[in-house]
This record gives sequence, C-alpha cells and structure tokens, in this order.
Amino acid sequence: MIAIIAWRNVWRNKGRSLVVIGAMVVGIWAMAFGGGFMKSFLVGYVSSSIKHETSNGQIHHPEFTQDYDIQYTIRDYLSVIRFLETTASVEDVTSRSLVNGMIASSRQATGVKIVGINPDEEAKVTELNSLVHEGTYFEGTSSNPVLIGNKLAEKLKVNVGSKVVLTFQDADGTITAGRFRVVGTLKATSPTISETTAFTLKTDLNRLLNIGDNIHEIAYTTLPETDDEELAKILKAKFPDDQVESWKELSPVLVFMEQWMASILKMLIVIIMSALAFGIVNTMLMAVLERVRELGMLMALGMKRVKVFFMIMLETIYLSTVGGPLGLLIGYATVSYFGTSGIDLTDYSEGLEAIGYESILYPVLQPMDYLQIVVGVVLTAFLASIYPAWKAIKLRPIDALHTI
Amino acid sequence: MSTIIKATNISKVYHKTTIPVHALNKLSVNIEEGEFTAIVGPSGCGKTTLLNILGGLDQPTEGKVEIAGTDISTMKDSELIDFRLKNIGFVFQAYNLIPVLTAIENVEFIMLLQKRNKKERHTRAMELLERMDISDKANNKPSQLSGGQQQRVAVARALASKPRFILADEPTANLDSASTSNLLDLMAKMNLEQNATFIFSTHDQRVMDKARRIITLEDGAIVSDVKR
Repeated sequence: MIAIIAWRNVWRNKGRSLVVIGAMVVGIWAMAFGGGFMKSFLVGYVSSSIKHETSNGQIHHPEFTQDYDIQYTIRDYLSVIRFLETTASVEDVTSRSLVNGMIASSRQATGVKIVGINPDEEAKVTELNSLVHEGTYFEGTSSNPVLIGNKLAEKLKVNVGSKVVLTFQDADGTITAGRFRVVGTLKATSPTISETTAFTLKTDLNRLLNIGDNIHEIAYTTLPETDDEELAKILKAKFPDDQVESWKELSPVLVFMEQWMASILKMLIVIIMSALAFGIVNTMLMAVLERVRELGMLMALGMKRVKVFFMIMLETIYLSTVGGPLGLLIGYATVSYFGTSGIDLTDYSEGLEAIGYESILYPVLQPMDYLQIVVGVVLTAFLASIYPAWKAIKLRPIDALHTI
Repeated sequence: MSTIIKATNISKVYHKTTIPVHALNKLSVNIEEGEFTAIVGPSGCGKTTLLNILGGLDQPTEGKVEIAGTDISTMKDSELIDFRLKNIGFVFQAYNLIPVLTAIENVEFIMLLQKRNKKERHTRAMELLERMDISDKANNKPSQLSGGQQQRVAVARALASKPRFILADEPTANLDSASTSNLLDLMAKMNLEQNATFIFSTHDQRVMDKARRIITLEDGAIVSDVKR
C-alpha cells in the first residue's frame, strides 16, 4: 500500500509532477540526441578513416613502417593474401607498393606518398573510386596514369590531363623519375588523401622502383561485427615475421578520439543529470513541506521513519521512471530517424571538410550509451530522493501535527 | 477493571533555556480500562500536552508514564513509534486522513503497518465502517466526505489497530451539532460494546455530557476528577 500511496502522491499535484516529468523527458532526449549527434562526428570521421585510409587492418614488413625503406617488402605476400582471402571474416584484400618521393608540375613541387595500387582491388577495399572528383578512375588508355587529391592539384596548379613528374629512390638507391598524367582528382575529407598522396598503378610504380611483383602493404576490410583486434591477433600468430596491425594500432588518434568522445558523453550525462537532480530535489522538497502535518500524522500513528523515507524515495523514483523511459524512447526515435536520414550540414561543408568531417552527419548511439543514460537516470533519481526523504524523517510528529 | 495508564508526577516545561512555561506540574492520573474520559479546562491549561505525553508523542520533563505496565517515559523515538502502533489509537481535531486513500484504505492502512493479512484487514475495516455507519462511503476519498463523515472514518481507523486506548484531541471542534451528536453516540456505543477506552481533550459541553469521567485541569494540574 505504501507503493500505492507513493504513486497517488505523485499525482496529487498533476501540474507540478508533469512539469518535472517534462523536464526529465526533454533532458534525457537532449542527452540522447546530443550524444548521438556528437558521436556522429566521431563515427563519420572514424569510418571514413577506416574506409579510405587504414582499412580494418594492414600488414607490412616489420622494418618498413620505421622509415618507409622500399627494400622491406612483405615476405611471401602471396601466402598472406591467400590466407586472408580464405578467412571468413575478411571481406576484401588489396596489396600496394609504397614510396615517399616528390611530385612536380611545371610550376610547383612538393613531397608526396606515392601509392601503387591495383584499381579493382583498391575500389573494393577503400572505395577510392568513390572519391574521384574530376576525371576518371584509371580508365582509358593513358600510360602512367596518376590520381591526386584536389588540394594537391590546386597546390601544383594542375588539372586533369596535366603531366607531373614523380621522383623517388629505386631499390638500388638510384634517384628515379617518371612522367605521369593526371587522370583524375580526388576529393576527400582526409587531408592525407587530398593533400599528400598520389595513386599510381602498382605495375607502373613497381617497374620504376625495380622491385618486381613485390609489395609493401596489404590492407583488408572485415565484415560487420568482426572483432578486428581478435583477427589481428590470429594473423600475428599465423605470420609472426610480418607486422600485423588493426586500425586501432595503425591510428592511435582514432582510439584517442573514441575515448575522448566517450568522456564527453559522460560529462554531458553528468551535467544534464545534475540539472535534473536539482529540479527533482526542489519539487520533492516542496511536496514534503506541503505535507508536513500528514507525514507527522503517519509517524504518530506508528509508521516507521524508514517507511516514510522509503515512501518519499518511491515518489521520486516514480517521477523518474515515468519521465526517464519516455525521454529515452523519444531520444531513441530521434537518433534512429536522423541516423538513417542524416543531418544535412552542407551549409557548413567547407569548414567541416577542412577539419576532416563529413557534411552529412548520422547520429548514432550504441546500446552501451543508452545503458549509461538509464544508469544515469536511475542514479540521479536515487540521489535526488535522499535529501527530501531525509527532511521528511527528521520531522518530529508532535511538531508536524501542529503545523498549519 | 485494570489500570491502562499510570502517570506519576509528570511535569512538562517548555522553553527551558529562555522563559520557562510549566505546561504540566507534577500531575498524576490513572486511567482504567473501558473508561470514557474527558479532559477539560481552559485554553493553555495543559490538556493537549497531557494527551501528547500519554500518547507517547512527547516526553515529560519529569515523572513517569506507564502504559499497561510499560514505562514509556524513557523509550527511544523508534521504540515509541512501534509502541504507539500496537497500543494507542489517535483521533485528531483535523481528522488527518490520508487524502490519497479511500475511507476503507485509510482504515486498512494502520493494520497494514501492523502487518496483518489482506483478508483480515479488509474484513475488519469494513466491519468498523459499518459500526461507524459510514460503510456506504467506503470507497470515497476524504475530499468526498463531510467533516463528520471523515471523523467517523478517523475513529474507525483508530479502532482498527485494536489499541489499548484511544486519544482524541478536540475531536468535535470542527463539527456541527448533528455530526457531533452522531459521532459521540457512535463512540459511546463502541465504548460500551467493545469496552474501548476513550480519552478526550475537549471544550465541548456535549462531549462532557457524554463522558463518564471528567478530569479538569488548570495551570497544568488536576483541580477536579469526577466519575459519574
């Protein structure tokens, strides 16, 4: 019956209770949507980085990534590729040759990472073809085709069809140069792709590098729900002479961003819940002070203080359990809706792309994020109920009964 | 008849640190089982203070109060709450029903605190409401009842816990003549039929007329104690 009394007490002042419940709904919705919106930046950035740059994992010669010396090609790369192609969780595989060098037009020159690729494999793994802004994706009969980022093209003052010269050291340490024709420019949020990378055919680059069919890098994508860390462990065990890295190892900054975003979400929860807690405390305190005589009567009749405490706590928890799920539901619906349709920020696309973000954002929250919000609500309700309940049990029945 | 309440030399001093007010002054009184007693006297004579102390809501500054042989003067607050629940029924001037509960729920509530089972609670609550001639309003909330009806529910609630005695502080002060008369008749009937012990504080002559013992207080002391 105490639970019934508490429930009915909540609705004694419907207007006040609805205001608090409304505040909770709005607060929790804001928390869910705000969190989802913030995470959309991260998810967009991370997924774009995985898709176009790191892939889900890469394999190199252990010495290669220290100073990108081209002599460190992957030993027995065919076995590695074969194994990856037969691994169920691996979706696609591509191999690359890499060298750092210079790119020069008739007007400018700058340092670049030159990546020799197989266009078909690359399109499957990094969807590089989807980034073509002008020109074509290695189509046509042009000899020594090269794709460069749009910003690099601007810097070199070249267009599609222009000729550029790539200069680098070959396997013998001889400075080698090759004349390439720009067949397309790439537009990507990643500064690495748009400003400092040139993509050539692997066959062209390998010929100039004089490394035969050898490669420096294998990149692979995995199926959704794959534990990339676990797969990397398996590959490390299988190929102990090679360096296998998951995307988290390849790009620690992405891991840091994930952790940073998780901290921001927690802070958001704490800030909104604190504001809600004050609202709840205020309302419940009013409810207690309005019922001083009634509470005194209950204790005079023989209701133990612990039960009075429990009753006030229950009233607070009821308020929260009505507002909490409703806010969560609306938040979930909003995140789900915009998670599919996206939030169009193309008006700010220039600024967003300048810092590596997409201009259409897709809010997203993981089940764990919702769980955090639920825990936050329950904890807030519990903590917010303590002070009013404590106030109630500090009343002396004899004084309370004589309160007007 | 056995002695239910034995108050010995009880004094109550308020505001001891500033200007002391002696609400009760070495007062001694015994109440027997089945009495229908009115405590009367002018305002400020100590009626309510005496009732509060006899009901375990307040502690005397000096003296001892024994209820059925148990000294409640030195009990801790938590012990007193439990003691009140098992031994004392209260009827307040302002009825003090729980506004969110119906009449029958209000009566059942006290038995719930006593951890009695649902069936027993409901049967006894209904029986008491019938005896108090208010069973037709069992499912009404206090706001849907008149003052007299609310006070009859309050008496039913006080009786529900099967207390050793019932303390009623000015129970008719807010009632009209008809309601007062009706309430007094019902309480007198409960006193006779169930041997329920009632102790009233009152200014109301009609209550005094019904009482079989009248204790008159003045300046915190008993000036007359008449049994009829």
